[in-house]
Formats: sequence, C-alpha cells, structure tokens
Amino acid sequence: MTVTLLAVAAVMVVTLLIGLHGVAAMRTTSDFLVASRRVSPLLNSAAVSGEYLSAASFLGVAGLVVRDGIGALWYPVGFTAGYIAMLILVAAPMRRSGALTVPDFAEARLASPGLRRLSAAVVLVIGALYLVPQLRTAGLVLSMVSSLPYWVGVVIAGVVVSATLALGGMRAATYVQAFQFLVKLLLFIVPAVWLVAAVTPEERHTAVHPVEFTHFTEDTTVEFRVDVTLETSEAVTAATPDGGEVVIGPGEVTVEAGQTLVFPEGAPVPEVNGGGTPGGEQWHRPLLNLSDYGHPLLATLAMLTATALGTMGLPHVLMRFHTSPDGRSARRTAAFTVALLGVFYLFPGVYGVLGRVLVPGLYLSGVTDTVVVALPSQVSPGWVGALMTTLLVVGAFAAFLATSVGLLLVISGAISHDLLPGGLRRLRITVLAAAGVLVLLALPSAPLAAGMLVTWGFTVAASTFCPLLVLGIWWPRLTRTGAVSGVLVGLAGTLGAIAMALFGPPLEGWQAILVAQPAPWTVPLAFTTMVVVSLRGQAPPWSRTAMLRLHLDEPPRTSPPNR
Amino acid sequence: MPQRPKRVAVTSPQTRLAHLRGRARGRWRVPRLDPEDAERAERLYRLQRRQGLLALVAGAAALVGLPLVFAAWPVLDEVRVWSIPLSWLMLAVLPYPTMAALAFWQLYRAERIERR
Repeated sequence: MTVTLLAVAAVMVVTLLIGLHGVAAMRTTSDFLVASRRVSPLLNSAAVSGEYLSAASFLGVAGLVVRDGIGALWYPVGFTAGYIAMLILVAAPMRRSGALTVPDFAEARLASPGLRRLSAAVVLVIGALYLVPQLRTAGLVLSMVSSLPYWVGVVIAGVVVSATLALGGMRAATYVQAFQFLVKLLLFIVPAVWLVAAVTPEERHTAVHPVEFTHFTEDTTVEFRVDVTLETSEAVTAATPDGGEVVIGPGEVTVEAGQTLVFPEGAPVPEVNGGGTPGGEQWHRPLLNLSDYGHPLLATLAMLTATALGTMGLPHVLMRFHTSPDGRSARRTAAFTVALLGVFYLFPGVYGVLGRVLVPGLYLSGVTDTVVVALPSQVSPGWVGALMTTLLVVGAFAAFLATSVGLLLVISGAISHDLLPGGLRRLRITVLAAAGVLVLLALPSAPLAAGMLVTWGFTVAASTFCPLLVLGIWWPRLTRTGAVSGVLVGLAGTLGAIAMALFGPPLEGWQAILVAQPAPWTVPLAFTTMVVVSLRGQAPPWSRTAMLRLHLDEPPRTSPPNR
Repeated sequence: MPQRPKRVAVTSPQTRLAHLRGRARGRWRVPRLDPEDAERAERLYRLQRRQGLLALVAGAAALVGLPLVFAAWPVLDEVRVWSIPLSWLMLAVLPYPTMAALAFWQLYRAERIERR
C-alpha cells in the first residue's frame, strides 16, 4: 500500500508543478493578459468540471447506489442539470456584471453592503457543508489504504489542502483544473471498463438481476469504521481476527468503530441502523430511496430541486466562470460543461451495481463510500487489482484536492475580503484557521454519507443564492430589503431543517423527507419572500438600468490591441 | 552582461478593479446606459427571457417527467435490454445526451438572439 500513498503524493507534486510552471511560462504583462482573455470555452469547461467533480461524485454516488439502490443515480442527473439552469439563467448575465462572487454581485446589482456581508456568511455555510464531506471521504480512503485511524486521515487531508493552497498550487488554476479533469476522467473510466471485463459472467448476471442480500454467500470480513447498530432475528456467531467469537443478537447490538468481524457463510445478514438489506424490493427501483422513509417520488423530486437549482449558487463554480473573456463564452462554457459531466457520470452506476454484488459486506460496515476503491482487489487479488486500486485512490484524491482547494480559497476569500477586510497575510492565516475548523467538523462526520452532506450544501445554495441571482438578473423590481429577507428566510429554513434532521427526534414518512431534504419548501419560500417584500417596497429608479446592463451583449470582438 | 527585463507585478484587470473597489468601499456609482444601448438591452432582455422560459419549461418537464414515468410504469424494471433492466438504462444513460442536446439548443438560440 506504500505504492498507493506514493502515487497520491505524485499527483500532488504534478499538480503543484503545473501550477508553478503555468506561472513561470508567462513572462510579460501582455502574455498574462492575453492568456487570461483567450481561455477557450472548451478548456474552461474542462476546468469547471475538474473543480466540480468532487469526492462526492468520484466515490459518494457509487456508495449511495450500494446503500440505497439504483435510484441514487438521480444524484448525478441533478448535478448535471444544474449547469443547464446555470446556462439558461445565470452564466452570461453574471459574467457581464463583472462580479466574481455572489457577494460582489449583491453589491453590483443592489448596492447593498449589508447584503454583501450576508452573502459572504452564506458562502461560509455552503463551503463548510461542501468541504466537510470532502475531508471526511479523503480521510476514510486514506485510513482504508494505509490502516491509519480515521482521524489521522482527516488531519492529513486537511494539511494537504492547506499546504497546496499555501504553496500556490492553484496559480494558473485553469490549467491545473483542466488537467485534473482529464486525470479524473481517465482514472474513473479505465478501472470501470477493466472491472466489467474482469468479473465472471455469473457476477455480471447477478449484478443486473439483484436478489436481496439475506444470507452471507461466503465468509465475509467486515471492518467497522463507524459505530453501527446491527439487528438480527436469530443469533449470529461472528469470528474476530484474533480467533475469538462474538455472538450477535437476537435483537439489537451496537458494534464499535475499529472492530473487525468475520461472518460465516450461510449466516443471516443483520439489518443496519434500522434500514433494510441491499438488493431488496426497493433497491432495484429507479427512484430515490431516502433512508427507507417511503415516498420515493417525493424524495427524487426533492433532491432534484436542490441539486438542479443549487449548482448556480456554488461559490467555487461561479468563481471559475470569470476566466471566460465575456458573457458569450461564459454561456458556451456552461453548455460544454453539461456534455463533459455527462461523460463522467455514465460510470458511477457501474461501480455501484458491481459493488453490491462483490462487496456487500461494506454495507454492514455503515460506510459504503469506499466501494469504488474496494472493488479491484475483490476482482483480482494480483498486481492488476493493486494497480487499479492505486489508480482509483489517486483519482479520488485528485477529486478531493481539486474541489477542496477551490472551496477553501473561496471561504478564506469571503472571510478576509468581505467579512473582515484585510491584506494578503490575513488571507494566509485565514486559510489555516478555516482548514483547522473544518477538520474539527469532519472528525465526527464519518457516519454521514458524502452524497447527503453535499446535497445539503446544494440545498442552502438553492434556497438563498438561486433566488437572489435569478430575481436579480431577471426581475427589475427586486429591492434590497426583499433580497435580504429572502436570503435570511431561505437560510433559516434550510439550517433549521438540517439541525432537525441531525439532532431532532426521528421522523417517518413524507415529513421525514421534507426535513432531511427541505428544498421543495425552502426554495419556493425564499422566492416568495423576496417577491412579496420587494413588491411592498419601492425599487430605486436606477434598478431597471442595473438589471438591463446585465443583458447587453459585448460588441463583437476586434483583433487584440497592438503591443 | 545582458540586461534582464525589469520585473513588474502583474494582476488581471479584474483583480485591479477589485483592489480599487476594496480601497474605496462604499463608493458605488449609479449604473448608466446610453439610450441606444438601453434600447438594445431592453430588446435582448425580452427575447432572452422568452427563450429562457421555453428552455426551462422543457428541461423541468423532462426532469420531472422521467420519475413520473418510472412511478407510473414499474413494468420498465422488468423489460430488459442486453439483460439490463430498461429503467436502469433510462436513468443511467438517457438523461446525459438529452441534457447535452437541450444545453446546445439553448446555446444556439441564445446566441442567435444576440447576433440580430
């Protein structure tokens, strides 16, 4: 496994080198300016996709398929659909406003420093909800391949991100991110194709004919990485690696994190944390099964609302669009991104479906996000399997790094630029402080699936920045008070629901879905608040001009000015 | 000794603007448009709004429609193409080319509006 860690280190070094070399290659002022103006939409959309494809996409989606079923493939559909909403509603006008971030936009369109600070606070919330699962998943993968404890993995991940940022790894960011996209695409597709070819015909057949996982078909080793409550109807005797025996059940038994148990062939599979077993009746349905709450149609639509409308408000994605020279190419960038993401997202399902057949024991461990990296060694214990594992770990780490560095930069920028204005030195310190806080938040988050946490980030964005941007760009009568109230209501609603889902009493049925996935009510609520409060006030006389300016196209580009 | 070019601190125009704005916080100018530009912007705004609504409705219909189809016809899980359930393929493959097509259609229409 040392090889794997070395490979991860190599990716980091290459990333840093491209960043530094990209800067060194630009000698003169005009080189720099021309480069920043001539980034083609295709290169830029590769960079957008590179920044966007996070650990949640690389590992999380396949893990959710193993845990919840085929319906989890709706997540990547929502992640991609977000760029269509972005293309239609936001891309070109946002670029033409000249604003790099939503706080900038708030000030440019509504001239409100108060709203600017509020938006910066929302950036922090979205960033934290998005970064914590990245750190968590990177920590899990590191602890899996190196047998270090989880917390060490998280701390290493945090240090790596802050170090990359501090050493300037994100200079010449467009090239770095475009490179990262290619790396991730290759490292995801090659092992997937190999896996499909390498499994036996029977395994392939079982993969598409799911049967419920009720009895262990072979001796199955389960490494528990988080505390898990198992429930069985009859007693199961499991062996420990040191030769001892543990009797589980009948009834509920809590297994502590760090334990390893070997379940014998033929034993009944316990239920985990009150959920069912994978491959059951609901598993093969193409609708989202949210924690066995039922109402799969509502759950699917709730998640789609959050992801499709939340993408346009993700701070690290919006930032990437300003490297487009004008509104027209920002629009092209968004369209190409839809196509590029579509290629990547054809493959998480392959890992998920194979994972259910080959590593069903992962489901018992309570953490399915490691399924992608666990698969190759199951299929081929030899060097090919080890090579494929290494490729996937490297890809997962690249995914984690690309998204995290971008997000950490945005978070630190929001703190040091919008909330507590200060110089560059302040920015460096802010980066370290923010990374420290996020690592602390990630430590207790191991049991929370990456896909779910990331979707909460999308939900906050959809209930705050989506109405702000959409109404700011398309509705001249939006007022400052209206915008502020809408953002506050959306933020309070979403955070309240998330707190309720995490710490509140257990709920059942559709109420549980609307608490765990509040977008269907928080988004309309935020929009309505903004409209109603704005209509009761009076927009300033320049409001219409401020909006129309965003829709005025640039004059056709002439040849670059003489040097 | 050959003289090396003088080192200059280079920032993008946007960074420079941001720095300026950072220093003069609070100085915000009332947005203005020439009458000619205002007229063009008004026309573009209306046309883009119409086209955008059309594309949004199409996208939303497809995105909401597919789950409804799955809920209404569970038989799609039983029909198999190359032994894979048809509903799995409709979820794992079909949306991506469809969304790309919608994106390029919207891009083409939006750019055509601006060419006029």
